[in-house]
Amino acid sequence: MSDIPVSGRRLTPQMKAGLGIFARYATILGLVAMILVFSLLSPKAFPTLGNFTNVLNQASLAMIIAGGLTLAVIVGELDLSIGFAASLHGILVTGLIVHDKLPIPVAVVIVVALGALIGLVNGFIVTKIKVNSVIATLGVGTILTGFAFAYSSGVPIVAGVPEAFLQLSLGRWLFGIPNNIVVMVVVLGALWTLVERTSLGQEIQAVGGNAAAARLAGVDVDRIKILGFVVSGMCAALTGILLASRLGSGTASAADSYLLTAFAAVFLGSATLRDGEFHVLGTFVGALIIAFGFNGLNIFGAPTFSQYVFQGTILIVAVGLSSLGRSLAES
Amino acid sequence: MTDTTIISPMTGMLTASPFIVARHIAKAFGGAQALKDVSIDLLPGEVHGLVGANGAGKSTMIRILAGLNHPDAGSIEIDGQRTNVVNAQAAAALGMSFIHQELAFVPGMTVLQNIMLGVPKPSRFGLTDWSAIAREVAPIAKRVGITAPLNASVKGLSTAENWLINICRALVRKSRLIVMDEPTASLSASESEKLFTIIRDLSRSGVTLLYVSHRLDEILDLCDRVSVFRDGRSVDEFSRAGLTRQKLVESIVGKGLGETVKPVRAETSREVVLDVADISRLPRVKSVSFALHRGEVLGIGGLVGAGRTELVRLIYGADRPDGGSMTLSGKAFRPKSPSAAVKAGLGLVPEERRAEGLVLSKSVLFNLGLANLDSLVSGKFVPLLSRKRQAHMATETIKALAIKTQGMDQPVGRLSGGNQQKVVIGRWLRRGPDVLILDEPTRGVDIGARGEIHKMIRQLAQSGMAVLVISSEPDELPDLCDRVLVMVEGRVVRELSGDELSRNAIVEASYEVTKQGVPA
Repeated sequence: MSDIPVSGRRLTPQMKAGLGIFARYATILGLVAMILVFSLLSPKAFPTLGNFTNVLNQASLAMIIAGGLTLAVIVGELDLSIGFAASLHGILVTGLIVHDKLPIPVAVVIVVALGALIGLVNGFIVTKIKVNSVIATLGVGTILTGFAFAYSSGVPIVAGVPEAFLQLSLGRWLFGIPNNIVVMVVVLGALWTLVERTSLGQEIQAVGGNAAAARLAGVDVDRIKILGFVVSGMCAALTGILLASRLGSGTASAADSYLLTAFAAVFLGSATLRDGEFHVLGTFVGALIIAFGFNGLNIFGAPTFSQYVFQGTILIVAVGLSSLGRSLAES
Repeated sequence: MTDTTIISPMTGMLTASPFIVARHIAKAFGGAQALKDVSIDLLPGEVHGLVGANGAGKSTMIRILAGLNHPDAGSIEIDGQRTNVVNAQAAAALGMSFIHQELAFVPGMTVLQNIMLGVPKPSRFGLTDWSAIAREVAPIAKRVGITAPLNASVKGLSTAENWLINICRALVRKSRLIVMDEPTASLSASESEKLFTIIRDLSRSGVTLLYVSHRLDEILDLCDRVSVFRDGRSVDEFSRAGLTRQKLVESIVGKGLGETVKPVRAETSREVVLDVADISRLPRVKSVSFALHRGEVLGIGGLVGAGRTELVRLIYGADRPDGGSMTLSGKAFRPKSPSAAVKAGLGLVPEERRAEGLVLSKSVLFNLGLANLDSLVSGKFVPLLSRKRQAHMATETIKALAIKTQGMDQPVGRLSGGNQQKVVIGRWLRRGPDVLILDEPTRGVDIGARGEIHKMIRQLAQSGMAVLVISSEPDELPDLCDRVLVMVEGRVVRELSGDELSRNAIVEASYEVTKQGVPA
């Protein structure tokens, strides 16, 4: 409102434009540089089709859950429940198959529906009861963790997991491509189409860009926000199911760490190609960076602590790049 | 600077040299010249009234005194010393306090803590010595009439009591000038009377008061002298003797501006599209009724804060009325949300274009499409956005409204104000609602774009739309509208049409006295 000169140096328009371009391509440059460096350092182990497929395969679970989170952040909210929810989903799907002898497809459908329901609850608490989404989803996530322990009594469900369930994640049903990758491509493809190519997607972007303007233009803002949470919840369920299948067990807290990875991917993604705007393709790139980073650290036998340092650093760098992009776009 | 003689006060009483002398102050914001040439002087111990229509420059002048804005030209002398008020702290140090309508107080704290907000506090052993402060503040609080105990929470105190807290703070700071902006806007008649008593008491003890109000009767009653601003200039300075309400209104409105000749209009249809009956949302909207006809441009005039935007929000489903009813095209109309209102056939161009009208980071095309998404999709199985349809829609609209943009993919935030406004209007042009509401459609828009937007609005009406236009600029409505309702303090006080509809009539009606002091 006031015209008191803001402290700090003024950037020339050229510098701003240059910085903007740098910010937009920095993540992709980083990804390429990382792949080059690892390839040079470890020409035998790193740059192979086998390793790349492996990286993508491993990253797929994170990409799916991050893809869902992308929808939640596009509509302007945060969903902190996804990691905890995915852990619960993993236990539930194993339990439904092992204890309740449900056919695998039925169990999967039930758990994905539950994911949608959790999203619905999150969305309802945020839009109707007007609880800040950080608090709401943190609360819901904690409750879900409680359920997970209650259901499993804290003991992983390992015995009696059928081989067919393991094949969900380990199989290569389509042209020898790992199933995880196929599911990831389908999910991200669908999400990208939804956001970028449908009228609903325009409303989703409008709500995130300026909720007040969207509301006055006739968009049902609450409905769109709830939709964001529901998609986020369903993707968390998919990741939880695939993780349980990969691990061959339902373990409480197994998927908790996906929360951080997903956030890092989403924020890295928002700094990719666009000025601090969240988008599905960006999230894909962000997740890829994280996956290659971990892979490289593994190949060089870096100690465990370094992986935490890497993940924490990348989260901060990602959010920093994202807000840099946004401030450049707004100036 | 020395050739300007200070207008001598009306009696021999105030012979002291002026406290503040501001000369030829000018200030522009972007392209808009908010102050062109303003001079004002404030004498010690006087109550100085400041009046003027919306946009006359009162707020900008106050912000300059408060150190929140810096003048482009002109000088300010305080106690004869040329001074730059660099920031709010400097203003406080120079002995000036500012009390706005939105009162500065923290709900969770006590009365005393609120009084001392931002005031340097004595400390003992590094701890704030509240008991010493309380001893010092107590007599001042008593003097301004604070009856609540100093250690009570301010929660639940009335607006009037919060005013007193703010005045008390100004006195604790030993302020020599207290600027009050619309102090009685939310006070009852008896509370206002109490405030006036305090103001007179302060004035007697040598404190200068700058009293900004639209309520001319209060100004006449209270002020020793009155300055009138118009269009960024200080146009008149009156002393109380012989000053009448009529004189003030004439000065505020300005003379010699000549009434613009209104184009003769075809008789508008008598078909009522939107009928509003006794709609209320207290305290801002009080029992408003009107009918909006097909093909008509209906204006709503009045001062800022008269309840016009709040009325529109009720019609548009953004707020719920607590009384009254509406019909749209003969059917009961009770929108639960803006989205319901849009579906029923309404459109809104909101007051705050950037905050409420546009997604600034997104393209022109994106923003135009926002109200037209149904018509932009194609595909048998999955309805996908058709780039062809989008591009067609955007090119058509950009052409029809002559929107100056580098292309349909340019971010809308990069356009000028006028072109941004055209994008918001263009969104509805395409959709073609039965009723289009425009809230301050030309605010912050340059003269050229303003004319185009006016033409556009007339065309929309001719095509059969019913248009409701809110404007705080009395100049705008007579040219644009078939009929104008003037609102004062939540009520429609006057309906103007035909020969009665003029700029002056709108301004005069805006200052019409409503039953003041009806408790909200």
